[in-house]
Amino acid sequence: MDRFKLRKAEPKDVPDILRLIKELAKYEDMEDQVILTEKDLLEDGFGDHPFYHCIVAEVPSEKQSNNSPVVIGFAMYYFTYDPWIGKLLYLEDFFVMEEYRGFGIGSEILKLLSHTAVKTRCSSMHFIVAEGNQASIEFYKRRGAADLSLEEGWRLFKIDKSSLLKMSSGPKE
Amino acid sequence: MHFKVRAAAKEDCKEISRMIMELAVYENMPDQVKTSHEDLERDGFSPNPFYECLVAEVPDEHKTKDASSSLCVGGQDTLGSSTRQVKRLKCCPNDGYTVVGYALYFYTYSTWKGRSVYMEDLYVMPDFRGKGIGTGLMAKVAQVGVEKQCVRLQFSVLEWNKPSLDFYIAKGAEDLTAKEGWHFLRFHGQSLDTLAKEAPKD
Repeated sequence: MDRFKLRKAEPKDVPDILRLIKELAKYEDMEDQVILTEKDLLEDGFGDHPFYHCIVAEVPSEKQSNNSPVVIGFAMYYFTYDPWIGKLLYLEDFFVMEEYRGFGIGSEILKLLSHTAVKTRCSSMHFIVAEGNQASIEFYKRRGAADLSLEEGWRLFKIDKSSLLKMSSGPKE
Repeated sequence: MHFKVRAAAKEDCKEISRMIMELAVYENMPDQVKTSHEDLERDGFSPNPFYECLVAEVPDEHKTKDASSSLCVGGQDTLGSSTRQVKRLKCCPNDGYTVVGYALYFYTYSTWKGRSVYMEDLYVMPDFRGKGIGTGLMAKVAQVGVEKQCVRLQFSVLEWNKPSLDFYIAKGAEDLTAKEGWHFLRFHGQSLDTLAKEAPKD
């Protein structure tokens, strides 16, 4: 795999991004949890107020047989804020199709993301990984990532929509 | 006790900065705070803000009688040997505070479910806890999230922080680290710089 290109995603990439999101969810055994549609992705990423940014990895189409996709990997990120250190880059999803792994594409994506973080004055790049995903944890730790859940004891919590609605309509002060 | 929750204004950043430090002290990590109130002003109140913030305030008759924040120096160290590393805040008005809590949050994105809201900090000064102020702040964050069509609210809690863990679980929160095994990772400082230097040129 000597030629691949990394670039900013464009609206036309939305079908490929959704395809790869579903492939990543399948890898994490949670395919049925993806309820996002192409319309959501288009509006949320390329509208007036983008909720995310995306990089795609593509291989030249002349090297592919008919029906093979050109976009073979992606990384979705956005900017968050830590009141102690300021802006952060948060890596939400990061995926390279199975048949294109082992060629350094993932590494190059991670380097580009790090460069983007530094260029935009971010102190840190954060993300989450499922503890069962040892391959990914090793990939990140080899490159200098620290596990804050182990080192500092942080646990991730969520409150779903039904509880949010209940909370937001609760007694006023 | 009557209190009000409202969107923070730029002028609140000094108070928010004070409380950020109080929260860091509570979490035993005061030396990790590097932001100033000027950073907060720039990052939260420009055309492209990186966070939103709510503050809780109490009427004048309930405000603190004196500079009761553990960080207020008034000319002398109050935290013993760790004070050198703690930013010394000379922000306490002589007549006490009206802003007694804050919630800082931003919007995130789940590739499975779409728009989400992440609550980065939720804090109420110790003297004002147990009066529904924390609940009021969080309810307002939830309301903002629902208005912006967010499907969930996420946040993180230190595993030893039992009062906070109990508070959130009582409101329907689920521990995804326990339930699904999610761990927080980061590239920070040297490890981030090293990776960045190897990026492909534009």
